[in-house]
Formats: sequence, C-alpha cells, structure tokens
Amino acid sequence: MSLDPVATSVFVVLFLFVTWIGFAAARWRKADLNVLNEWGLGGRRFGTVVTWFLLGGDLYTAYTFIAVPALVFGAGAIGFFAIPYTIIIYPILFLVFPRLWAIAHKQGHVTAADFVRERFSNRYLALAVALTGIVATMPYIALQLVGMEVVIGALGFPTTGFVGHLPLIIAFIVLACFTYTSGLRAPALIAVVKDTLIFVTVFAAVVIIPAQLGGYGAIFSSVPEEKLLLPTPDAGSLGTYSAYVTLALGSALALFLYPHAMTGILSASSGNVIRRNAALLSAYSFILGLIALLGFMAIAAGVDKDPAFAGGFSLYGANFAVPALFLASFPSWFVGVAFAAIAIGALVPAAIMSIACANLFTRNLYKEFWRPDCTEAEEARMAKIVSLIVKVGAVVFILAIPQAYAIQLQLLGGIWIIQLLPAILLGLYSRAFNGPSLLAGWAAGTLVGTYMAGTQGFTSSIFPLAVFGLSVPGYAALYSVVINFAVAILLAPLFDYMAKRGAQSAAS
Amino acid sequence: MAISKSTKTGWRRYWPRLFLLIPFGAIVWVPFYNRIEPEFGGIPFFYWYQLAWILLGALVVFGIYLIETRITGVTKRTEPGFEITGSPGDVL
Repeated sequence: MSLDPVATSVFVVLFLFVTWIGFAAARWRKADLNVLNEWGLGGRRFGTVVTWFLLGGDLYTAYTFIAVPALVFGAGAIGFFAIPYTIIIYPILFLVFPRLWAIAHKQGHVTAADFVRERFSNRYLALAVALTGIVATMPYIALQLVGMEVVIGALGFPTTGFVGHLPLIIAFIVLACFTYTSGLRAPALIAVVKDTLIFVTVFAAVVIIPAQLGGYGAIFSSVPEEKLLLPTPDAGSLGTYSAYVTLALGSALALFLYPHAMTGILSASSGNVIRRNAALLSAYSFILGLIALLGFMAIAAGVDKDPAFAGGFSLYGANFAVPALFLASFPSWFVGVAFAAIAIGALVPAAIMSIACANLFTRNLYKEFWRPDCTEAEEARMAKIVSLIVKVGAVVFILAIPQAYAIQLQLLGGIWIIQLLPAILLGLYSRAFNGPSLLAGWAAGTLVGTYMAGTQGFTSSIFPLAVFGLSVPGYAALYSVVINFAVAILLAPLFDYMAKRGAQSAAS
Repeated sequence: MAISKSTKTGWRRYWPRLFLLIPFGAIVWVPFYNRIEPEFGGIPFFYWYQLAWILLGALVVFGIYLIETRITGVTKRTEPGFEITGSPGDVL
C-alpha cells in the first residue's frame, strides 16, 4: 500500500482541527481547572445535548467500530450480540444511575469508589473498587490504539519499526497534552466533532455501499449460510443461544460500572439529563447496528479476496475488514473523513478513560492512603500527572506487548468490572449490607470469573456451565457475579453479628 | 403506618418502570428471532427484528420518562418528599 495523499491530507486536517478544539476547550465554560471537580468532571454542568455527545463518544469507541463488524465479518451472527446488549443498557441506565448521580452530587463524590467508601465506611472495599476500575480500563485504553493503528496503516503509512509507530505516538502525545490542560472539557467538545463525522460516515456507507453491491438482498445472499444465523444447539446444550443472551446481559450490566462511563454520568448536570439520555442515546445503538452490518457488506464486496488488501489483512486480520471496505467503496477524500472519524473516535474514550483512572487513583489511593489532608490544588495536579502516566502506559502496552494480550486482558476486564455491581447496587437501595461481606463477595466473584476464563485458556469468556446434565454455555462475568451476590448476601448477617459482638465487648 | 404510606407513594411514583421489562422480554428468547423469514427488504428477520427493538426500546424508555415527569410534576407541589433525587437509603 502506498500513501494516499488526498485521504491523508483530509485526515491530518481534521486531526489538527480537533487538536485545536482540545486546547481551546480549557476556556469553554471557564472555571478553575485546578480543582478536581472541574478538571475531572467538567464541573458537573453538562446538559442533555453535551452529555449525549459525551456519553455517545465515550461508550461507542473506535475499537467497537472496528471490532464489532470484524466479528460479524469473521464469525457472523454471534457478533450481533452487541445489539441486544445496547438495547438493554438503557433501561438499566434509566433505573439505576440517576439515583447514583443524585447521591454523588450531594456528597461531592467524583468516583464510584468514593460512593462505596462513604456508603459502607470501608476504605478497603473502596480500594478494591478503585483498583478493579483501573485494571479493567487500562487494556481498554490500549485497544483504542488498535483502532487507530488500523486506520493509520490503511492510509498507507509504513507499519514497521519506529517510523511505523510514530503517527500513533504523536497522536497520543497530543491527546495527553490537551487532556492535561483541559480535562473532561476536551473530550466533551471533541465528541461533537467525532460523533458528527461518525454519523455522516455511517449514513454514507449504508446508502452508497449497498447501492454498489446490488441492495441488501444481494448482500445477505452472498453471506455464507452458517454465518447468517446462530447455529441451532445440539441436544443437551443451550449452545450459542444462552451464550448470545448472557453475553448481552452481562456486558450490559458491566458497562456503566466502567470508570469512564461513570465519569460521563457524574458530569451530567442533573438526574433528568441522564434519564433523557437513556432514550436519546439509542441513536448510537442504531448506528452501531448499521456498523455491524458493514461486516457483511465486506463479505459481499469480497475485500478479503482483493490482492490490494492482502497486506492489510495479514497485518490486522479481520479488523481490516471495515477500512478495506471504505477504501474499496469511497472516493479518497471521503476515505479521509471516515478514517478520521475512527481515529478521533479513539481519542475521545481514551481521554475520558485516562481521566477516570486518574480520578480513581488520586481520590481513592493517593488521598485515602498517603495524603489524607492534601489541598484541592494538589489533588487536581496529581490527577493530571496520573492521566499522563496512564496514557504512556497504554502506548507502551500496545507497542511492547502482543495485541492478543490486550484483547485477552480486556476480556478479563469485563469479568472483573462486573464484580462492582453488588457494592454499587446494594449500596444504592439498601442499608442491610456491609463492607466486609461485599469485599468477600468481590473476591469470590473475581476468583471464580478469572478461573472460568482460565478454563477456556483466556481466549473466550464463554463458560459451559453444567446444570443437571444440561450444558449452558454463558458469559463468565454473569455467572461469577451471581456468586458474588450470593456470598455478599449470605455473609452479611455474620459480619453484622461479629461487629455487634465487637462493639459490646468494647463497651464492657 | 409510615411504611405502608411510603410503599403506596413509591408505587404511585414508580409503577411505569415495570415497562422497562419489555426490552428485556423482547431479546431474552433467542430461538424466537434466530430465523431468516420473514425478510424485510432482503434483510433476514434476525437482523431487522433486533434493529427495530433498538428504536422500540428507546420509545419505551422515553414514554416512561414522560409519564414520570407528569407524575412528579403534578405531585411535587403537594408532596415535597416525592422528589426523585431523594436522600440515599430511602425505599425505591
């Protein structure tokens, strides 16, 4: 592949434009950025529209836009699980998170761990929540780079050696700098550009490409039959049916526990903003559904058989399907727009994720365990520095370690992050539970979930659970969080009793 | 006495949320929609059914939002304790 000058110019111009926005964002809704609430949560003043762009840009990441159609392209119908997943996240968002927002707003919580800390008066449970959040998010940031790497490679940049990594490194330095100066305001403003470009690209794709390929009927009839539907399970197993639905449900329960999702929610200006967005954000889900179908369009267009794309497919595998489809179907200048949409789509979540990790580290490790009486300015400065370190870590991660590990770690991250559900959910709706029992549940769920993924060689999170001789393959995250809930609920009375005994003996 | 009152107001305030079960019900039984026919403009049922539920799910959530806004809007003046951003720990 040689460098495409038109596409690359459009790409670079759009990239420079969002860089300028990123730095200019520091002066938007001007406030003192040396306070964590302003730098890390945008002052909790984002209304319905800004929150719509911010959460949309945050949750529907570049990696999603590359990986979901890649899965549909490679594996077929199972890749469509992302659709029921995004259907049920919004009832959950509507039901649970306006309440969390209200409490966090009242008490000044910046992170989920802050909430757990205050709710259960247990700093170790808060520590577990913070560490889980950071560990689960790091590989996720690294994977945003994968999305970016694929489109930079598809533009025709050299892909080997230090020169090959240079565009990625420059992009991340830029990202790190504007996140440092502008905080959450930068991704909030850039998300407006990102989402506009994504909407334009996807609408063009679903109109132009089917017209070139002879309509949707022709596209679906060129898809091999075994990819078109989920295979019917054998007797004695629920097969892909239970896998499909548990993947959707488990992913949906886990999504808003991720620190970057939490940061987006807490930066809203009211609970009603969140409730409105629980309906409005579905627009992105629909876009994701159309993007998933690009996987089938890539099959119909036969891009994997085109010798021009052989190099790309051997480098990036199925992840190259969508870039190849765009290269084959769009004029150069629009390829530039589409690729910029994906690359900028990596910047927004990467910025929010690094801010979320920085908030967690500063609030729940640094301040809690080392500097309990640090000033607000010191707290904000620490968070800014940590956001830099997190991004350097992500770049090193993706350049030094095989990409397969990043994917496996992200898969484990989903299993780990869902273990925060009992602490958050029970903390929101009840006072009957206590820190130690939730900590025990968290440990049990994390261990069992990791073990389940381990039995699959860490390459799949689908665990074949045997129930009375019936095999029920399902998402390990969902199975393990049930154990987490069970342990937390069963041990609660025991720890309550012990605490009471302790208090009595101290009194006498 | 206090409990029965709060459950009653809770029910009056939150009953529309039962509708949130609808999107779950729509996708939970995979064999129902894991089929080709009926096609819609060449798109197999499996795909257009799920895409359609993205929009229907949004309508359900938006409908509940509207109903709840009406309920809270009407009763907020008479019952100040009715507010959605209530203190932590009160019954849903």
